Amino acid sequence: MHRILIIDDEDDIREVAALSLETVAGWEVMVASSGAQGLARAATYQPDAILLDVMMPGMDGPATFRELQKNPATAHIPVMLLTAKVQATDRSRFADLGVKAVLVKPFDPMALSQQVAEILGWN
Amino acid sequence: MGDTPASQISEAMDRLWQKFRPQMTERVATLRAAAAKLASRACLTQEEQSNAAADAHKLAGVLGTFGLKEGTELAREAEGLLEGSLDASPATVKRLSSIAEQLNAMVVSRG
Repeated sequence: MHRILIIDDEDDIREVAALSLETVAGWEVMVASSGAQGLARAATYQPDAILLDVMMPGMDGPATFRELQKNPATAHIPVMLLTAKVQATDRSRFADLGVKAVLVKPFDPMALSQQVAEILGWN
Repeated sequence: MGDTPASQISEAMDRLWQKFRPQMTERVATLRAAAAKLASRACLTQEEQSNAAADAHKLAGVLGTFGLKEGTELAREAEGLLEGSLDASPATVKRLSSIAEQLNAMVVSRG
């Protein structure tokens, strides 16, 4: 069973994404509501992948990703950014960080796990 | 609870909508208040503008997930109007007011 960590400050997005990944794909999901909490949970939980929101107060998604990369305990974990920004320039800027993919919100709850699986080669 | 993942998701999404509808309504209220203030020819403070843009961004990111794809498009447009240097022309204010009212109607009618 795959293990996913969702880091997002918005509780509605966290709950819908968790519901989607658990119900449709049967994956194990852990959530974090801030970048700092996400860093701690990633290190202890060792997920197979992380869904990371871009716009969060305090430590935003890109800053959280950089911290994940600095830590040898989390640097190997593939990270997919979640963003409601649809401009190509924004998406290109996020992709240039070195993340595995940039996923656009809103997502289809029935399709999210398939999208993640395809990106990570889990099919 | 339905037997298939699709029916389980559909039922669970309806429950989550009920749970989160108050915060959707609150976000729309922020947009309506900003539009109303601009329509009265008052200026938004930087904080008011920033809060309205942030709530529009949040609505854009989530409404489509609950089946309100047009709501996502409208919220994105509102976010674009509220970002950066605000154009408070009558046409922009009218459009922002219209978007806020449409979003309110969608959130109410989603049930």
